[in-house]
Amino acid sequence: MTGDEAQSRQIFQDTVREAAFLAANGEPPADRYWFFREARWRCLAAAAKTLQPEISSNQTAEISKQAPEQIAQLEPAQLAVWMSAAPEPQRSVLALYYLDEFSYRELLAITGLKLNELSTALAAGRREFQAWLNATAPAQIE
Amino acid sequence: MKRGLQSLIECAPISDGRSADRRMRTAISRAKKSEEFSQQQGFDRAIAKLVRSTPVPGEIKEWFANEPMAQGTRRSWKTTASHPAVLAIAIALAVIGFITWLKFDEQIHTWAGESIARKLLTVASATRPSQFEPVDTEAGTLGDLFLMKHRLEHYDVPLEFARVRTIGARVFDDEDAGRVAHIGTAEKRMQFFLFPAQRDAKTGQPEEFAGWRFIEQEGWTGAVHARQGVLFMAAVRGPKKELAHYVKE
Repeated sequence: MTGDEAQSRQIFQDTVREAAFLAANGEPPADRYWFFREARWRCLAAAAKTLQPEISSNQTAEISKQAPEQIAQLEPAQLAVWMSAAPEPQRSVLALYYLDEFSYRELLAITGLKLNELSTALAAGRREFQAWLNATAPAQIE
Repeated sequence: MKRGLQSLIECAPISDGRSADRRMRTAISRAKKSEEFSQQQGFDRAIAKLVRSTPVPGEIKEWFANEPMAQGTRRSWKTTASHPAVLAIAIALAVIGFITWLKFDEQIHTWAGESIARKLLTVASATRPSQFEPVDTEAGTLGDLFLMKHRLEHYDVPLEFARVRTIGARVFDDEDAGRVAHIGTAEKRMQFFLFPAQRDAKTGQPEEFAGWRFIEQEGWTGAVHARQGVLFMAAVRGPKKELAHYVKE
């Protein structure tokens, strides 16, 4: 979400601290989604203070058969940097979806999006990531 | 594929083991044969694998030693009930329920002709003795007068009020009540009204009720009785006890 490890760690700690504070006041978070919602808002607030990603029509490409091999060449940090540069709400959607923790209904609840908005953000994210992949880790020609 | 199902396919779960609802299962079963979907799944799984391989610093791992806290705690019903939003909804429902009960209660205790009787109570409060045609007799005898002179059948004063001396009578048309016979009396300055009972819209039969019904409005009280398709109302200024001598509830 932030593309910055130190900032992410700070947001994580602030979120857990907030949960502990609420729990101490007898109002503990109602469910585990609270942590993700809270962390997301903190990430967005932190991102708002820094440089914003350009709103431009990114290049897109159809998902390739070789995409898994291309992705295998990447480092997690490269993926994190690419995702953190995506505009909202696509950035939140991609970050939460690829955690592979939530059903689509849970994603809708956490992000407050509608189904078509969620699916559009995911579909566009895949095509844009594929285009970036093609430039960063080109597929081996068989 | 339909747009809704296509939207679901875009959000299909990455892991097979993840539970999916019926709509999602339907969408997946339709998309499974397509090459596009299998490529999407391969793409998503590869990214999820990369995400899982992200190294987690040791100090962060320590935070997760306390798993129950990360799962959140269920609120007790007392905490939930004292939440302002829940309280506001409960109060709103209580008010709606109370108003509904009032309306229901009002409907139950309403009887045919009540609205007209109330209107005639207003007429009684505004009527002066000079407006009556002078008739000095017992009220019970005026039924013949109304029949002979105005062709009003069954416009008879009930026995309870038949011996009351009258000072005058008149007949007038009211747009709601129809032909109304109006009698002025000397006793307690009571006034009597005789008017047609409302008729049932389906059967055409007069809507009647048994016994006496009382209404009170702006310091006036009316005692109403139905008989042979005609309503009789005795109106008097003052509380219900002013009529207790004549009729019992």
